[in-house]
Amino acid sequence: SQTKKSLFSDPRSVWFISSPSCVMFLWHTVKWADSLLIFITFSVRSQDIRNTVGNIPMEWYKDYPHIGYDLEGKKIFKPIRNKDELDEFLDKMENPDYWRTVQDKMTGADIRLSDEQVDLVHRLQQGKFGDVNFNEYEPAIDFFSNEVMIHPVTNRPQDKRSFIPSLIEKEKVGKLVHAIKMGWIKPHRPKETTPQYYDLWAKEDPNSILGRHKMHIPAPKMKLPGHEESYNPPPEYLMSEEERLAWEQQDPEYRKLSFLPQKFACLRAVPAYSRFIHERFERCLDLYLCPRQRKMRVNVNPEDLIPKLPKPKDLQPFPTTQSLVYRGHSSLVRSISISPSGQWLVSGSDDCTVRFWEVSTARCLKTVEVGGAVKGVAWNPNPSICLVAVSYDDTVVLLNPGLGDRLVCTATDQLISSYEEPEEVKDQPVQWAVAEGEGHEQGHRLILKHPKAVRQVTWHGKGDYLACVMPDNGNSLQVVIHQVSKRRTQNPFRKNKGLVQCVSFHPIRPYFFVATQRYVRVYNLIKQELTKKLMANCKWISSMAIHPGGDNVICGSYDCRLAWFDLDLSTKPYKVLRHHKKALRSVAYHRHYPLFASGSDDGNVIVCHGMVYNDLLQNPLIVPVKVLKGHTITHDLGVLDVTFHPTQPWVFSSGADGTVCLFT
Amino acid sequence: MSQVQARFFTENKKYLIDDVPFSIPAASEVTDLSAVINKLLEAKNGHESVQLCVVCVCLQEDVVEIEYVEKFTAPQPEECIMHDDWISSVEADSEWILTGSYDKTARIWSMEGKAVMTVAGHTDVVKDVAWVKRDGLSSLLLSASLDQTIMLWEWNSERNKVKARHCCRGHAGSVDTVAVDPTRTKFCSGSWDKMLKIWSAESNEMMPRKKQKTEQMGLTRTPLMTFSGHNEAVSSVLWMDAEELCSASWDHTIRLWDAETGGQKNAITGSKVFNCISYSPLCRRLASGTTDRHVRLWDPRSKDGSLVLLSLTSHNGWVTAVRWSPSHEHQLVSGSLDNVVKLWDTRSCKAPLYDLAAHEDKVMCVDWTENGLILSGGADNKLYTYRYSACVSDAGA
Repeated sequence: SQTKKSLFSDPRSVWFISSPSCVMFLWHTVKWADSLLIFITFSVRSQDIRNTVGNIPMEWYKDYPHIGYDLEGKKIFKPIRNKDELDEFLDKMENPDYWRTVQDKMTGADIRLSDEQVDLVHRLQQGKFGDVNFNEYEPAIDFFSNEVMIHPVTNRPQDKRSFIPSLIEKEKVGKLVHAIKMGWIKPHRPKETTPQYYDLWAKEDPNSILGRHKMHIPAPKMKLPGHEESYNPPPEYLMSEEERLAWEQQDPEYRKLSFLPQKFACLRAVPAYSRFIHERFERCLDLYLCPRQRKMRVNVNPEDLIPKLPKPKDLQPFPTTQSLVYRGHSSLVRSISISPSGQWLVSGSDDCTVRFWEVSTARCLKTVEVGGAVKGVAWNPNPSICLVAVSYDDTVVLLNPGLGDRLVCTATDQLISSYEEPEEVKDQPVQWAVAEGEGHEQGHRLILKHPKAVRQVTWHGKGDYLACVMPDNGNSLQVVIHQVSKRRTQNPFRKNKGLVQCVSFHPIRPYFFVATQRYVRVYNLIKQELTKKLMANCKWISSMAIHPGGDNVICGSYDCRLAWFDLDLSTKPYKVLRHHKKALRSVAYHRHYPLFASGSDDGNVIVCHGMVYNDLLQNPLIVPVKVLKGHTITHDLGVLDVTFHPTQPWVFSSGADGTVCLFT
Repeated sequence: MSQVQARFFTENKKYLIDDVPFSIPAASEVTDLSAVINKLLEAKNGHESVQLCVVCVCLQEDVVEIEYVEKFTAPQPEECIMHDDWISSVEADSEWILTGSYDKTARIWSMEGKAVMTVAGHTDVVKDVAWVKRDGLSSLLLSASLDQTIMLWEWNSERNKVKARHCCRGHAGSVDTVAVDPTRTKFCSGSWDKMLKIWSAESNEMMPRKKQKTEQMGLTRTPLMTFSGHNEAVSSVLWMDAEELCSASWDHTIRLWDAETGGQKNAITGSKVFNCISYSPLCRRLASGTTDRHVRLWDPRSKDGSLVLLSLTSHNGWVTAVRWSPSHEHQLVSGSLDNVVKLWDTRSCKAPLYDLAAHEDKVMCVDWTENGLILSGGADNKLYTYRYSACVSDAGA
């Protein structure tokens, strides 16, 4: 019962015991204890052989004619007792041995006690020893008293062996000494090095499961009973009829009180609480589900999650101020290009002229007139060739400006004049002609007549190949590649998909980039296949520039976006910048510095820091650093072309206001 | 009104006054201080009144120490010489002004602004000019051009004839700068092809072996020595002394060279493109004009290189020309793309002494002669000269 009590006093063990297996265990325990008790009883009465039923209440046999069984298994019948009260009384009066007659319970027979037996009963009743001969008052004789006598009890002299050392002991000691000498026994056993006690928590990991004790959360406490739980609450806690109805209609989950306060006259009249088990169970559930561990919530400032962009101040050098304005054109300047040495700048304008400028002084050194509004100019990137490709209408002219090293200029002229016609003339889509007369005086060297208007010209890095774009919807001949040294023209694409906007050569590898309105296609010129198709996610690409490393491309679009593609990363833009308010007209990369610029119709040039890392795991870092304003908006057109100085962190921009600006 | 204790001092012995503290009103202006000093000077030695200006004020134990110097009079404009085209360079000596122009000629002018001679012979823009020497009536002069040559001319001022003596060929780019060494026997040229070349400046009368076209172009001359080391175009070159060369370049460095061995001695690294440099033997400082509108002063002897001593900031455009005063150790003149020529005193680096805003277009070149003439030429085809007399008197004093 003690166990049961302690078990039930803890609410958790109620939950425990409610499982059937535990109940079964208790039941078995009780059964086992009972059978043990019976066994002990049997063993005590085993010598009583008159009746074999054992120590059982004899009244079990009171309805039977027998009272048990003898050793042979035969029934022991009860003696016939048909005496009534009167007979009993007469027997008592007449039978002189009545008083010494007793009934044997086991056999039911009457036994007449003998005189010795009666005498024994009498003696026991009187509190005397049963044995008649036992004298309880015999005189006591002390053999060994406290008195010291003169003579000893025994006078035997001490043995000799009590004076000489024991041989057996000597032998034993000798063996031990020998064993110690031989080192078999260590006289001083070295102490046990293992400490008797050890630090239980020495190696404990604070983060392990034990660590939670540090973050101990005590079990939630139950609410203490209030006045409404009293058996005799103040009347304001008792519910009125409406309140009680409302309480009953409420969902038990939303009830404010889980019970109805009731009033009883006295504590004795309080009935058993019907919801006791239910509430205990709910309490157990609460304990089971309550949090046992304190979880540290990480407090993160959302500002910290934004990657830290370096300040533009730390990313210098980049162009910051307008330094020079190249004035001279009377109409919008569509295109500019800079010589590979960085000393000269060429600009082509709608006033049908091409002007050559000295970069450091903004001096126009040369003006060449051509037969139409100039759409594109491109200076040959090879420093050993002095040629400028100029496109107007359906013509591309290769000009020798005669600037820079005189030797290079004459060598270029020689290179062009030394061309020999091949024996078999191929049919080419473009007519090549050598400029003569006045045109030659002005610097015209080769004239290429195209079937359609040429919009863009661009050189290959080696300076021998020249690509021209003739945008025409739905026609095959949109891009042609010329080889100047052999005066040969190739049409690389039998069929162009979409309207080609601009093309570019890869700076290192034999790839060719073709930008249509929505896509940039990258072709491998050696394998003659499409390598990649970049999706710009914009309506209409206007311009494109290839990073000098060759793995990154930026595209400007007429819907104010600049998309940066990482060719290793994806065919979708790595980043899209929407800094301009109006359509982008031109984008450019710097050859050495991590800079790129974009010119837009809103008259601004935005310079961004675009760092490309050699580490393939690190994505390019793009930080806009400067908005350069210098052009006035004319006919809703602002900046038409941007280009970087080849060695200095300077950017040139040409605008619709007929000027070219240098920002340093 | 509160009073402060002030003590005046000067380094100019001519205007020395007693070293006694004075009590002056705290709200005194420069003119008030000038009046006080003038009164004191008058009382002392009956000196005529001079304009003085306060240069430096320092506080010591509640006595304000005020240094005063003579106030320079503003440069007086003298002449405006019109050219046919942009003026790329100017160099004047005591008698004649030599200018190089974008019309492919160099011109000689008298101090009064009279055109004396037009030196034509280059096939392209003349970028720099220099006087070599003068023996009596005949002078030697140099002109460097975009056509990659430097021409050595002999000019006879009496007969007013100019003759091409030598045509120095060897550069593979436009020759942007030329400088004659102090012994007047050699000159150095810097070019866009990143090279510095040293040439002999002697005018050999030796007849050519072949009858070349000596009448027109002069004998072809090849360089004595070539210095390579710059990574970009050389924009300006000068001689520090007979053995040491200094060159500024677009690669953001100023390099010092040993003219005898051809080795590089020192390099000063800036952060922007150097357009021009000037060296003053008086204060042993280099002044540089860069593309970031500062005039910077450097110590060419400092071994750690990139130490800027001072930076003079007031221009709004690239500083295209800078020139130290030949007679005053603190003054220099600078010209910029913002059309202004500024006269600086390095002791007051916050603001220039004078702004000479006569040009209507980019200033391309400035010069300062020993007799106190400041010249500036620019893209408005005009060459202005200014008389700056104060510096002569100061030098005399």
